[in-house]
Amino acid sequence: MWHKIMVITDWFGEMSERYKLIKDFNRAAKYSYIAGNAPTLLEVKITSGESSFRHAFSKWMSGGFRIKALSGRSLSKSELIEVGRVVLDNDELVRKLISLGWDTLEVHDNTGFSGCKWKLMDFSNLGGILK
Amino acid sequence: MNILLIANKKIVTIEQVSILQTLWFWISLIELLMIIFLLYKLYSKNNVAELSDLETKNLKNSKNNNIDMDNLMNSIHNSRNLYKELTKKCHPDRFVNDPKLKISEEIFQEISENERNFDKLTLLKSRAINELNINF
Repeated sequence: MWHKIMVITDWFGEMSERYKLIKDFNRAAKYSYIAGNAPTLLEVKITSGESSFRHAFSKWMSGGFRIKALSGRSLSKSELIEVGRVVLDNDELVRKLISLGWDTLEVHDNTGFSGCKWKLMDFSNLGGILK
Repeated sequence: MNILLIANKKIVTIEQVSILQTLWFWISLIELLMIIFLLYKLYSKNNVAELSDLETKNLKNSKNNNIDMDNLMNSIHNSRNLYKELTKKCHPDRFVNDPKLKISEEIFQEISENERNFDKLTLLKSRAINELNINF
């Protein structure tokens, strides 16, 4: 019984942690854009993700971490890849994303249908130690 | 059982279905959906690779890590230019036959390792100014 209660509390804790992460990201992106440090406003959304990228911690129907660039113009492929690479190079963030149930990183621009997808597990360096 | 009612020249057909029949229909439908969902979960679980104990432990520990989002934003937008500038100015080839060669090699290696980390690159920039006397 206690185990079940703990599992339910863990689930709620995870959900609040997920939304906190998204809120922090969006807040930092907004302030960076307002301060003029960023040429584009970034926004994070939860999507269903790619089913073939799933792992043991994946959340059902909400495994996608989509970064959307609200730039007003379509970003080039290299710009999209650069945004994704910065997130993937941050081992701590990637591990946190995986542990909170995300399995796919998506980077999209505001206009058009172009975007990039990465499998988070490939960049987690799980067997190793964090720098 | 169909009943026809004629009222004001309108023909109304009422189909009587017992409540029990409707209830069982919905229960069986819900059961069917649950079976499909469980089969899907079983199928998806079989397709997912199991993690080792070390990997699971590492993941659970990283749940409460604090991420510096401001640094992340700076890294996304400004690290590329800073990296290019630093690699150009701190390249060891600029310090051939110079006692600072070893320090420049060390700094250059760290710059390459932290290509997309704005905070680290800023620290390395100030180190390059102090130790290599480079003007940016």
